[in-house]
Amino acid sequence: MSAIIDRPRFGCPLGGALGMIRALPRTVPIVHASTGCAYNIYVGMNSGAGYLGGGYCGATSTPSSNVVEKEIVFGGEERLREQIATTLEIMDGDLYVVLSGCMVEMIGDDAQSVAGKFKNALKPVISVSTPGFKGNSAYGYDVVLEALAKEYVTPRKRKKANKVNVFGLMPGGDVFYKGNLREIKRLLNLIGLEANTLIGEGETLADIKNSGDAALNVVLSDVYAPLAAAAYESAHHIPCVRVPLPIGYLQTERFLHLVGGHLGIEGKFIGKALKSEQAVYFDYFERISDSYNDIDFQRYGLVVADANYAPAITEFIADELGWLPHLTVVTDELTERQQELLSKRFENYASGVKPQVRYDPNAASVRRHLSGSWERNRNHRYYDSFSPAVVFGSVFERDLAEELSAPLLTVSFPVTNRVVFNRGYAGTTGGLAFAEDTFGLLVAGR
Amino acid sequence: MIIENSAPAREERLKAGIAFCGTCAQLQSRLGQKDNGCLYAANRSFSQAHGCQFTLSLGILNSLRNAVVIMHGPVGCGFCSTANIGTNKNFKKLRDPAAGGIVWLSTNLDESDVIEGGEKKLRAAVLYADREFRPEAIIVASSCVPALIGDDVDSILENLERETAAELVPVNCEGFKTKLMATAYDAVYNGVLKKLTKYRERDKYFTENELSDKLWEYEKGRTVNVFNVGSMSRADELEIKRLLSALELKVNFLPCFSRPDDFRAALDAALNISVCGTHDDYYLKYIHKEFNIPYIIDTMPIGKKATARWLLKIADHFGVAERARLLIQKEEEELERALEGFRAVLKGKRAYVSGGEVRIFVTAEVLTDLGMEIAGFKGHHIDEFAWPVMEGLPGIENIYINIASQHPFEQANIVKRLKPDLLVIHTGSGNITAKHGLPVLPLFGPGYNYIGYSGVFEIARRLRRIIANNQFNRNMQKYRPAPYRSEWYAKDPSAYIKDTAGK
Repeated sequence: MSAIIDRPRFGCPLGGALGMIRALPRTVPIVHASTGCAYNIYVGMNSGAGYLGGGYCGATSTPSSNVVEKEIVFGGEERLREQIATTLEIMDGDLYVVLSGCMVEMIGDDAQSVAGKFKNALKPVISVSTPGFKGNSAYGYDVVLEALAKEYVTPRKRKKANKVNVFGLMPGGDVFYKGNLREIKRLLNLIGLEANTLIGEGETLADIKNSGDAALNVVLSDVYAPLAAAAYESAHHIPCVRVPLPIGYLQTERFLHLVGGHLGIEGKFIGKALKSEQAVYFDYFERISDSYNDIDFQRYGLVVADANYAPAITEFIADELGWLPHLTVVTDELTERQQELLSKRFENYASGVKPQVRYDPNAASVRRHLSGSWERNRNHRYYDSFSPAVVFGSVFERDLAEELSAPLLTVSFPVTNRVVFNRGYAGTTGGLAFAEDTFGLLVAGR
Repeated sequence: MIIENSAPAREERLKAGIAFCGTCAQLQSRLGQKDNGCLYAANRSFSQAHGCQFTLSLGILNSLRNAVVIMHGPVGCGFCSTANIGTNKNFKKLRDPAAGGIVWLSTNLDESDVIEGGEKKLRAAVLYADREFRPEAIIVASSCVPALIGDDVDSILENLERETAAELVPVNCEGFKTKLMATAYDAVYNGVLKKLTKYRERDKYFTENELSDKLWEYEKGRTVNVFNVGSMSRADELEIKRLLSALELKVNFLPCFSRPDDFRAALDAALNISVCGTHDDYYLKYIHKEFNIPYIIDTMPIGKKATARWLLKIADHFGVAERARLLIQKEEEELERALEGFRAVLKGKRAYVSGGEVRIFVTAEVLTDLGMEIAGFKGHHIDEFAWPVMEGLPGIENIYINIASQHPFEQANIVKRLKPDLLVIHTGSGNITAKHGLPVLPLFGPGYNYIGYSGVFEIARRLRRIIANNQFNRNMQKYRPAPYRSEWYAKDPSAYIKDTAGK
């Protein structure tokens, strides 16, 4: 059973699903739910994802059956049939996805069979069950991708040996998903791979349709997208390798060797590609070494982020910035097994540093975990305080950061205090951006 | 008077409508008929997303200071609050520098709760909120799921009351109950009436004598409550305060950004004043009956004409009409001088105005006063409260009006026909509106001043600025297509309205 949450950092399945459809070019959602569901999600997603916007047909343009009491009593299938028919008349799309919300699921509307009646429409109409009580937005993202894999992707017997699909970054939930995907694609190209990131820059629905001939699925997450990965395995016989989202050079190196290893790419070849990356990367890093040492730019770190970012950032600040990540709070709702799995990501750092890790989605808990793990000031004459520090989190951490007199870099949803376009934190390019933003905070007052 | 468990839906209570296409004269004729010409019965065969009474309720509830809101429902209900994390804190600080940010909890109902009921989690959330944050009030906003599974939130809170320091306020605002999101205001006030609207004892000191009582009574006789709306800014409030202070009235602002306890204090007042009929008739009528405080619900003080009318109604109540007339005259003279430079730029520009039923008409008055023309209207819904403001706008009979809660597909079609020079829009459809390629002035915004005399000047100033460079939206129009098929633009805008009574 799920627990109550103090200021959740994610939405419901319908939210994750709408975020995914927002990311698919020329795809029209048809929300079968109460009036308000889709708009509520848009308002939260727009601001929380660094002003993502409604895009082609989101926000109040989202087609929605807006069911009210009458449909709840008498059933909403007829209303849905009407809404799909009129949507096909009015909205210009290449794919239509029916998403069902809480109310219509509870009264037993069969959206799947209603959508099935539109088999002969000019463009495909598929249906995905996304009631809010079924989980959170990560589930919604996953279940849409699963449906695409099962019903939209063309089956291909012959696989391209050097082609990989990449997913596991939830659009919107990962505020930097698009910049991240661009970098991952670039990195995989460096080792001779053709990377299909499905929803990246310049990619279209055709890229999803043609994703069935990949040799491998690279899922950039320890926990997200289990259903989609399984659907690709069963329906398209594409195996999956799970790798953590890499931030910075060291993690990129590990990432490329891991993926390359799975496809039998020679380590020597990968090493060669990394050599030039390394040169470019540390050339930039070298810039800050003057001030780092002249002024002492080492800090304690407090990381509060989701299951993708928390391990990556913690390791990055420990092993590349040379900082002391004292405490990391992972904010997803996770099973014990998932927690154990993630905990391994915080071990064996090159720096030898050992951060404390907590799993807790509640906003007010962060302060408690910090004061429980760092000795409080009991009016000591000499107090060893948690400073100087930098907080990496969401805007929920703003008040705590102010209390600690520590600058805050918002990296994990919700990020309402920045506008994010194509910035990414993945890979070496992302590592530089991350370091740039972080050190930027330290010089902001100069 | 008995307070119902939930406020009734507005389509029933006010016979309000959400779907209409036609001229203003046609609309007025429907409004003049019995049950508003059955406007409430019309709907659409194609609809688009818009707010519900849950999301709109949060507009007020999230603004309350020293309160925690519990979103009783699955984890996504109340997700929209994310947009208010920073802004609300800043807006609260304009009223109280020590104010904190917004805090909300989700009962995160899952599949097993749908079967077993959400009571256990709701109790846990209330107790957590009370212990962790020690707020004055804990407000439980119930969404669709608990309403359908039959959670008796009122009784659960009643039973918890002895275990919490905070006042526990139930707000039953499930979205599926009404197609009119404005029902939200009634839902919020219904909860406020149940728990926060109680007389309070006056603090008295030993040294006080009869004279103190008289002074207190006098003070009370000059105190008014102005019922603000979420779409107002602090600058709007200060303008109202400035004008009413000139009539020697003391002003409280409720409900947005007030503290829960302010609803008690507000019962020591001589008059309740609405700034927008759409918002607070349910509450003010009840307070009148139960606490004998008279109220004024008339127009919205935006634009010279409406502001004068609004001020005079209040002044009349206190017998200071002459004084108000002098004030209005002086204000108008000064404003007139200030507007001189703007009229030439704005003259003859045609505006399409969309948003709340009251606000669009008063805003139209500002625009016509500045020499502009009205190309068309869109009202989010329609009911009796549009009457006085429509009356105040002679010559609108033949202007096209669309009644639609958002529904930008109809707007896209209509704007293409009417070819206005600029758009005045309600928040929420910016991504589509941008693609008309026209300058856009938001109809409201909690960061800008629209109300009173200073508001007219601010609107003029912003219009001139917005018209001066429209390149951003032009690029959007050029490079990013709207999502509607070309066939749609060939159809009549009313093609998807199912109006059984009106056709």
